[in-house]
Amino acid sequence: MTREAAGLLVGLLALWQVLATGGALPGYLSSPADVVREVVALARTGELGVHSAVSLYRSLAGFALGAGLGIGLGLLAGAVRPVAGFTEPLVSLAYPVPKVAFLPVLMVWFGISDTSKILLIALSCFFPCYIAALYGVRAVDPLWIWAAQNMGASPARIFVRVLVPGAAVHIFSGLRVALALAFILVLASELVGSSNRLGLGFLLVSADATGHSALMFAALVAIAALGFGADRLLSRLRRRLLAGYLLAEETPRG
Amino acid sequence: MSVEPSRVPSLAGASPLVDVRGLSKVFVRGARRVAALEDLSLQVAGGEFVTIVGPSGCGKSTFLHLLGGFVPPTTGVMRIAGREVTGPGPDRGVMFQELALFPWRTVLGNVTWGLEVQGRPRAERLAIAERYLALVGLLAFKDAFPAELSGGMKQRVALARVLAFDPAVLLMDEPFGALDAQTRELMQEELQRIWLETGKTVLFVTHDVEEAVYLGDRVVVFSARPGRIKAEVSVRLPRPRRLEVKKSQAFLDRRNQVWDLLRAEVLKFRDEAEGAP
Repeated sequence: MTREAAGLLVGLLALWQVLATGGALPGYLSSPADVVREVVALARTGELGVHSAVSLYRSLAGFALGAGLGIGLGLLAGAVRPVAGFTEPLVSLAYPVPKVAFLPVLMVWFGISDTSKILLIALSCFFPCYIAALYGVRAVDPLWIWAAQNMGASPARIFVRVLVPGAAVHIFSGLRVALALAFILVLASELVGSSNRLGLGFLLVSADATGHSALMFAALVAIAALGFGADRLLSRLRRRLLAGYLLAEETPRG
Repeated sequence: MSVEPSRVPSLAGASPLVDVRGLSKVFVRGARRVAALEDLSLQVAGGEFVTIVGPSGCGKSTFLHLLGGFVPPTTGVMRIAGREVTGPGPDRGVMFQELALFPWRTVLGNVTWGLEVQGRPRAERLAIAERYLALVGLLAFKDAFPAELSGGMKQRVALARVLAFDPAVLLMDEPFGALDAQTRELMQEELQRIWLETGKTVLFVTHDVEEAVYLGDRVVVFSARPGRIKAEVSVRLPRPRRLEVKKSQAFLDRRNQVWDLLRAEVLKFRDEAEGAP
């Protein structure tokens, strides 16, 4: 985070705090200090940890499932034309439909359970990963493939050792979009309901039902923190795995 | 010094390592047919360094792509050590103009790639890769990524990568085309040293006449499109050739001779492009 971004954030929070303390804000806009107090109290009782862990499990399980399938099928569609001929029209058909619209259907099949939430998240994460992997493979330099063939590599080896790493930059862009979607959708699905009465989204609606404003904000802070942490971890992984590429972006061509 | 008409094999008796006969390639793009190569025959002896020059668009890169097995010919037969070329293979090490290094792999990882394909054990891969990195003077950079290297250093990595999987023939497509003049001269001297040390057979395409004469035992001059062999010039300058040889009269004579042959083709190509008679 740049110093300017941090400054803006602190400034807005300070303004919010001043207005709240001065009584200029309605009661449903809890002051930052109240929210912090609520977060600390929730963390002490262990409630925050449990709700966060449940939401994190649902989002990451859905993300892993959707991203895994999306990347796998995208790579295959990019490498094998007939596969793309099969998947592309289906993706064009399903991609524009809001995935939340599937939630009622999934709930009829699987109840208000973890399964319906995880499947909804997986479905949402699938598309950006599929598209990124497909274009990643199509963007692979054909000379890399010739060089690999020249060294006697089999098609299977070229797939694993050239197409996959060659598409990795695109794949990581897709993963980042998908990861954010996973956190958006875990909250949305928990707002609709949670069979075990757990999850940050469930915490949010139950706080709303009892008019507990600071608790609502505490739940929002928690989901934001989880999303922030996950995005940062992914970007660290990206820097590690794509060390050779990032250098290409950062150093001038010699 | 001699100019030999094309299609007369310059090697009598011994069977050549590279044997190309009646090769032609026509590219079909929709209704358009472009003849890139026409009835081309070339024999190269084992250990020989042959350079190929020609006007741009004469099909000299296409020739290497055919010989590399990446593109099938329209007619003709290509044999390497008696075996017909039917596809790409590690008996011919191709060094592309754009190098095609793998950016996600380190220098060492690029050089060991072909050895992994061959299923060599790890220790052996490392030993071979380090030997060739030392040969091209890049051992200290083995853990760097290609993007961290200068143009000349990338060329050396590409050369080490090709040498490491031990092909019988090196096919080099204007490998030094993108380098500045000084680096290019150093790389030429370097390549000659490595060629003398490894005894490889080299086919080297370039548009630089000086480079062709300096490096080649024999300079093959291609005609304007469709590419045919217009003439061959034997260089016959002693090895190892120092860079100063480029100032000698013997060198300049051969350079001028190749230049005159090439110039006629370049003019012909230009006239055709402009629709002149």
